[in-house]
Amino acid sequence: MLKRPLRLKTITFTFVSILFISLLSASCGRDSGGGGKQLTLAVNAGVEGDALKQAARDYEAQTGVHINIVEFPYSNLFDKELVDLSARTGAYDLIMLDDPWFPRFAGEEYLADLMPLYKKKNLAGPDDDFVQTSLALCRHPYSTGTLYALPYLGNSQLFFYRKDIFEKHGLKEPQSWEDVLQSARVISEREMTGAPGGGRLYGYVMRAAQGNAAVADFMPIFWAFGAEMFDAEGRATVNSAEGINALRFMLELGKSAPPGYSSFNADEVSAHLLQGTAAMSINWPAWIAAFSDPNKSKVIGKMAFTTMPGAAKPGQAEIGNWLIAIPRDARNAEAAFDFLVWVTSAEQLKRSALRGNPPTRRSVFNDPELVAKFPTYPVQLRSLETSRPRPRTPRWNEIENAFGIFLSKANSGELSPEDAMNQANAEIMKIVERK
Amino acid sequence: MQRLHGNNSFSSGGERALPFLLLAPTLLVLLALSIYPLVYAVRVSLQTGTGAGARWSLDNFTRLFSDGFFLSALLHTLVYAVVALSFEFLLGLLLAVLLNQEMRGRSVFRAALLVPMMLPSVVVGVVWRLALNPNFGAINGTLKSLGLNTESLTWTASPRLAFLSVIAVDVWQWMPFVFLILLAGLQAIPQEPYEAARIDGSSTWQTFRYITLPLLKPAILIVLLLRTMDLLRVFDQIFILTEGGPGFATETISLYIYRAAFRFGNFGYAAAMSFVLLIVTNAISLVYIRLLQKQETA
Amino acid sequence: MRKDFVTRILRYALALAAVVVAVAPVYWMMTISLKKEIDQFSMPPKWVAFNPTLAHYADAFGTRSFGQYLLTSVIVSLLATACAMLLGTLAAYALSHFRLPRRLDKHFALWILSTRMFPPIVTVIPLFLMMRDVRLLDTRLSLVIVYTAFNLPFVVWMMRGFFGEIPRELEEAARVDGDSRLGALWRVVLPLVAPGLAATAVFCLIISWNEFLFALVLTQTDAAMTLPVGIAGRVTQYEIKWGVMSAAATVAMMPILVFALAVQRYLVRGLSLGAVKG
Repeated sequence: MLKRPLRLKTITFTFVSILFISLLSASCGRDSGGGGKQLTLAVNAGVEGDALKQAARDYEAQTGVHINIVEFPYSNLFDKELVDLSARTGAYDLIMLDDPWFPRFAGEEYLADLMPLYKKKNLAGPDDDFVQTSLALCRHPYSTGTLYALPYLGNSQLFFYRKDIFEKHGLKEPQSWEDVLQSARVISEREMTGAPGGGRLYGYVMRAAQGNAAVADFMPIFWAFGAEMFDAEGRATVNSAEGINALRFMLELGKSAPPGYSSFNADEVSAHLLQGTAAMSINWPAWIAAFSDPNKSKVIGKMAFTTMPGAAKPGQAEIGNWLIAIPRDARNAEAAFDFLVWVTSAEQLKRSALRGNPPTRRSVFNDPELVAKFPTYPVQLRSLETSRPRPRTPRWNEIENAFGIFLSKANSGELSPEDAMNQANAEIMKIVERK
Repeated sequence: MQRLHGNNSFSSGGERALPFLLLAPTLLVLLALSIYPLVYAVRVSLQTGTGAGARWSLDNFTRLFSDGFFLSALLHTLVYAVVALSFEFLLGLLLAVLLNQEMRGRSVFRAALLVPMMLPSVVVGVVWRLALNPNFGAINGTLKSLGLNTESLTWTASPRLAFLSVIAVDVWQWMPFVFLILLAGLQAIPQEPYEAARIDGSSTWQTFRYITLPLLKPAILIVLLLRTMDLLRVFDQIFILTEGGPGFATETISLYIYRAAFRFGNFGYAAAMSFVLLIVTNAISLVYIRLLQKQETA
Repeated sequence: MRKDFVTRILRYALALAAVVVAVAPVYWMMTISLKKEIDQFSMPPKWVAFNPTLAHYADAFGTRSFGQYLLTSVIVSLLATACAMLLGTLAAYALSHFRLPRRLDKHFALWILSTRMFPPIVTVIPLFLMMRDVRLLDTRLSLVIVYTAFNLPFVVWMMRGFFGEIPRELEEAARVDGDSRLGALWRVVLPLVAPGLAATAVFCLIISWNEFLFALVLTQTDAAMTLPVGIAGRVTQYEIKWGVMSAAATVAMMPILVFALAVQRYLVRGLSLGAVKG
């Protein structure tokens, strides 16, 4: 029946021997731990995590504490942390978290209160050098409550634009959203072949993919138009006249954006800016460094950065800080705390800034050496200090998801702005009211 | 056909225990790894609230009927499964028949066709996100260099095209599996009926319709069963390709369950939705299994 | 004669088109892994001529832990395949060559298949809690156990089909020669279904090698992460590191691809010997 029994035998033999070897090594899967202290740290994959990784190597060299860094993509980090913290596995001694996740983790009491740890070290608490708006994110309830984390990375949105293109067409740095729209129209019309390689250069590019992306890029417009997500009683108010107008404006702006922007995420927006196929955008400062990297950028020295434009109200950026916290069940809370204080010190934040991450301390923003290297720092600090957080609710992920779906639907033309906002409002009310 | 052995002539006491001994490890592993999750899922689906505030209720199930997202995700899943399955089956059958014939380079063609099936779904998602990007992707880039206007071909960005795109990717990845099973099925068909048909002077189509298809039926049923089960819970590729967007256009039930469980931490509701998916999958699978068993006894 | 020629050309054209569609995107991804970032998305796309760089491979395997992910993937998928094949084959033999009282064989077979129908997204959390309680989180062993359970129903159903095709007389002859039941299975039946065993094992390997969700949830550190998790980890928030990710993806698919293509002949022939027969 078998033409080549020999061959099968060889395959079986190889298979069995590989198996035997792997059996031997399967048992070594777990870290042995061994002597010396060891900390495990869950971070976001990307520039933020990379800087933290290098800091951890320095710390290891200084103190001998081994730090084990685990990277997760942004879209999995929250899920991973939620499951591990709620199951109280104690696997992570420190976690990096995006600030909108904080109310959930703090509200469920998954995080360690930092004040007792400060007391143990005879320290008074976090110093005043931290930017107020950043430190406020680390308390539950917001700004006044218990301290559960420290701010590590001081992102707040900035407005990016191509100064060479603006000069070419005699346009001025946009002060209001109306300016943005006019400039975007001019650029889209006149730059039919303005991109490197002869393609079209679009006036504006934004993220309108459902979820976090659409909401983050919409909020500055939404707020500038005078809309609010909730009223004083906590009822959803996204379908106010201001809210609907803001969405109408977003769609207007979308006409000057590359086709398909309603599914764009940060990576697509970045690619457009780097390839020189879009002239304006809202983005996070952690991304500025890439524009001067010749391996990635076709627009070296051509980008300018400014604060958020306004409309009915002065422009306000959304804050998006990365915080570091210690899970309540961490195995080495004290050692973790030592590292946390060390890594958020002015000296370390300066190093992290040199690696491309915006700091969370005023003294670092004002450091002359850094300002010389990053001329945008004064703008960034201004933007950060006047920035606004997303609503502080433990159900933010769910609210953002629902809101984002309807924003994305409006941008792809499936729903009118009125319908989108009405349906979003009803959906958000359902989430808020559910027990 | 001799498959089940009736009156076993050499049965003894030890013999009777043997099949159970052979089955025991498999049954134990599956019991351990499926009963606990099932009990757990039943329990949490009947609870609302978390921690000390948890209480028993049917809220998670009643909520299903008023949740527009859930209902449209369910609808998407069914449409997705039907459309993808049809294309996978028809294309797979066509290619299997084609490559079952003598032709030069046949084994190279066969091997190359199997490539997509062997890739991790994560890689498939990456490959296609790369290829389908409306502005930088390889597909639009190639079309553009052929002089076509790609302005409106935004693939994963427009709701309707996005749904077709994720289906096309599924077909790309899994049609080879259908092809493989059907090809094996074709090879298992004996030559005699074909020779008889040639002597009778039947046309190619008649031979295919009255000899090949009936004899291929078991293979067809098996491949449809396996693909249906997998299509109904499709997750990985869509998660990486579109994450359910734009809007809600490509959100399938598994994605929505994932979101409820991991993003919103609402495990009870996720479990309740899973039972609906389980019932749907079970019902459809039973139809296939009935047909298969009918085939066996026929 | 003329018509024959035309159909032959058509046949080749169709087969060729199918192969191009199947392979081109994968080839494209491999070129991305060799391109500098600035060339990756330049228009029109460069299919052949570009300045290759190995920087992404160096980045993936030099500075990151992909070497370790690769090792874990190899160990986990081989062990899980072996365990599933061993247990599943014995169970399939019991289900096909014995008649159990009260049609239990049919019930067992159906139940085994139905364990595959529950969506993994829901079983993953309880399994996570189970693994936590037995202190197996973040170990390769936990993945081996879960993948074994994953593959078992498939192995049982496939092997039941193969065993069903083996004439009973052969086995009885061996028993007359003095073999025990298991001896006959080992000496006579298994060699006959060897191609089927190989085909089934290849499927198990592919499934275990590619699995993502459980590998993501059940691991916590690099100690037990597999390649798919490592690749997904390259999707960073601001930019997707297409180069590193394509490099990692290329390496992730290579072993399984080479292996599966090498045994491709056995795959088709193996499957045709039983699983798909009436």
